[in-house]
Amino acid sequence: MKEVVLRSEKINKHFGITHAVKDVTLEFYRGEIHGLIGENGSGKSTYCSMLSGIHSITSGRFLLEGQELNIKSLVEANLHGISIVVQEMGTLSGLTVAENIFLGREDKFMHGFIKDTALMNKETQQLLDSYGLKRINASTVIDNYSFEDRKLIEIVKATYFEPLVVTIDETTTALSQNGREELFAIINRLKESNKTVIFISHDLSEVLAHTDRISVLRDGELVKTVNSNEVDADDLKRLMVGRELDKRYYRTDYDGRVSEEVVLKVTDLRVPDEFEHISFELHKGEILGVGGLSECGMHELGKAIFGGSYDRTGIVQLPQKNAYINTIPEAIRHGIAYTSKDRDNESVVLANTIGDNITLPSLDLLANKRVLRKKKLQAFAQEHADRMSVRMTGIKQYVFDLSGGNKQKVVLARWLGRNSDILIFDSPTRGIDVKVKADIYALMSELKDQGKSIIMISEEILELIGMSDRILIMKNGQINGSFMRNEALGEEDLIAKMV
Amino acid sequence: MFRLAFLTTGKAMNETISTFKRSKYFGYALLLGLALFFWVFFKILSPHNFGTSKLMANYLQTSIQYAVGGCGFYFIVVMGMFDFSIGANIVLSSLVGVLLSRHFGYYGLILGCVLCGTLIGSFNGFLYTRLKIPSMIVTVGLMLVLESVANYVVTLDSAGFPGKLTNANVLAFNHAPWNFIAAAIAFLLMGFILRFTKLGTYFNAIGSNEFVAKSMGINVEKYKFIGFVLLHFFVGIMALLTVSYGKGMLAVTGMGSMSRNFKPLMGTFFGVAFKKYGIPVSAIVIGEFIITLIFNGLVALNVPTTINDFVTGAVLLAIVTLTNRGLRGSVVK
Repeated sequence: MKEVVLRSEKINKHFGITHAVKDVTLEFYRGEIHGLIGENGSGKSTYCSMLSGIHSITSGRFLLEGQELNIKSLVEANLHGISIVVQEMGTLSGLTVAENIFLGREDKFMHGFIKDTALMNKETQQLLDSYGLKRINASTVIDNYSFEDRKLIEIVKATYFEPLVVTIDETTTALSQNGREELFAIINRLKESNKTVIFISHDLSEVLAHTDRISVLRDGELVKTVNSNEVDADDLKRLMVGRELDKRYYRTDYDGRVSEEVVLKVTDLRVPDEFEHISFELHKGEILGVGGLSECGMHELGKAIFGGSYDRTGIVQLPQKNAYINTIPEAIRHGIAYTSKDRDNESVVLANTIGDNITLPSLDLLANKRVLRKKKLQAFAQEHADRMSVRMTGIKQYVFDLSGGNKQKVVLARWLGRNSDILIFDSPTRGIDVKVKADIYALMSELKDQGKSIIMISEEILELIGMSDRILIMKNGQINGSFMRNEALGEEDLIAKMV
Repeated sequence: MFRLAFLTTGKAMNETISTFKRSKYFGYALLLGLALFFWVFFKILSPHNFGTSKLMANYLQTSIQYAVGGCGFYFIVVMGMFDFSIGANIVLSSLVGVLLSRHFGYYGLILGCVLCGTLIGSFNGFLYTRLKIPSMIVTVGLMLVLESVANYVVTLDSAGFPGKLTNANVLAFNHAPWNFIAAAIAFLLMGFILRFTKLGTYFNAIGSNEFVAKSMGINVEKYKFIGFVLLHFFVGIMALLTVSYGKGMLAVTGMGSMSRNFKPLMGTFFGVAFKKYGIPVSAIVIGEFIITLIFNGLVALNVPTTINDFVTGAVLLAIVTLTNRGLRGSVVK
């Protein structure tokens, strides 16, 4: 009989209107490596963030060795024997390696208010050496190390104090083969010492090879927990996807006809460490879907076409206009629009009004001899906000008050106002409710009918299949598959090229 | 075989160079190299009016007062904040110190400067953390308030030059060794705080990522408050040196105290830029010395003040930019 070390009971998490984790009840055994998988947005990271005190729990509870947990910070989680290596950069610049590892836990080196820095450095160095990381100096400022080394330091920080439960959240993508081997050696060592590891990864072969059991989440709900030695990658894919296709919102035409006219030609585009050798053509009136796992390079691709990436090489050409796009102003001037996946930071100006957000890229068009007239700006903003049915008290309302879906409508209204011919939508329906989703899909169909061309980058497979005339699947920074629109196209076909 | 050995040696050599370039020794080499470069440069152009041993001692004495303020500034700049009220605090604390020195001699001067400075810092920190508005706005308001208070304080002593208080009887800190002793205490204290207390770690953590710092259980508001208190404690020591060097202090109005902010801040820029080598205190001290060398070198060449300011500013920007290059595309605020 295996001993349950950690149990979650009906855990829920809401982010505004988004129900990210729904009634998840799950058990983790002592001394097991437990894989946690699911599509993007399935709630894996959110679930583990609640366990680690990064996010609060909306309802439900975690029980560690039978005791209910009430954790409010990472340090509190550590004190209870729970730690996490997060997906993003988790170390802090400006601090030494030793300071990073013991941040918030300096008390053991304090004599009154004096910190024994020498002892802290010495102990850290011993730790690093024991992990086989002798090349890393404990007293050196962490900024001097590579992303991979910083990730390994983070793993040391999360595991040195022998926690009962360690979560490794999508960390392997940041590591080279050597780094991965070092990570799995650490994971196996934890298992041997009867600790529990929750391992999150999109690499199914990696999950199958290194875990004892696997739990699958979909749309925030637990689908099933299986023994790793009783399933294969196809079984896991079916569990990850396994729902009936819901086609209510999507296009119903399947003739896949688009104009022969090429409006955008991308040749050998490359952004170092993101993607390389990307070439394709976009036709007039075409919706071109670009899909893949989150880190496959597709999000940077959208930015690069728009002229927003540094160190980009290759050619982005508008053959009809005989123009080349290298910068964002050039892209906007030639009728290209872009909506970012990171809506709050890269698309809207939160501390500005809806009106100001909508008119922002069109000020040159609205100016009369360089003079802007308030009435004209307001009329313009009102027209396009109404066209997108933005739910608001008025165009003077600040954007930070709006829901995710309405923020996205403001972004779209902005580019409709500019009458852009080529629209790059990165994750256009991310984190928004079904009603707004339906509105956005309807708008995309309308734009297509008007002869506008759309590049839709999406992590949602159903959306790609339902809306695209053609789909490019990216994997590890390259195009790994191309599919034309047809009724027989299934989610499994796309997933097979993604993972 | 020979080629393999050569390659192995080459790899080891690269590794050694790479390690050296990350070390504090490289940071020191850069700073001292810069100081030497500017000394040689101006010495060649002005062999008699620049860089003699006596003048070098003067430059050093001038630079240490700014370095003390620069050390204080570091505590809040590293957390991403700013304080415009430094100059006004120097004026007010100096005046309070001089007034108290009339009754309590050196004890009055030292305690008046340092305690008044620290109290103002506590007030700044309190307002900043309570009002929750940007530090620049809070401290501009406080600068105006402090200047007005200083103008009132100066009227408490009717003797002497109008608007100025002089301290002719307590001048030990305007020359060696006491000015060096006061500055050395400040530098050692800062080094101690950064290296041997939690404060240094937490200030850096808050500046690096406030959200992560909070999730690590750090009381961000508390440490921001402490940052302001420490800044103004050091400003109090700077006031002690400033009022001693000037043999008195003139009260100013209309943001006239603002110009006193920038020389200490230049040293702080050096400290932030050389933080990655783990030598912020030394970088502030040597950085201020470099700035003083450049300033006095240009004076020795009879360069007009406007050109002098231009060159000093340009050199500062060049040094900080070259030593502190961020990732392309990274947001720099």
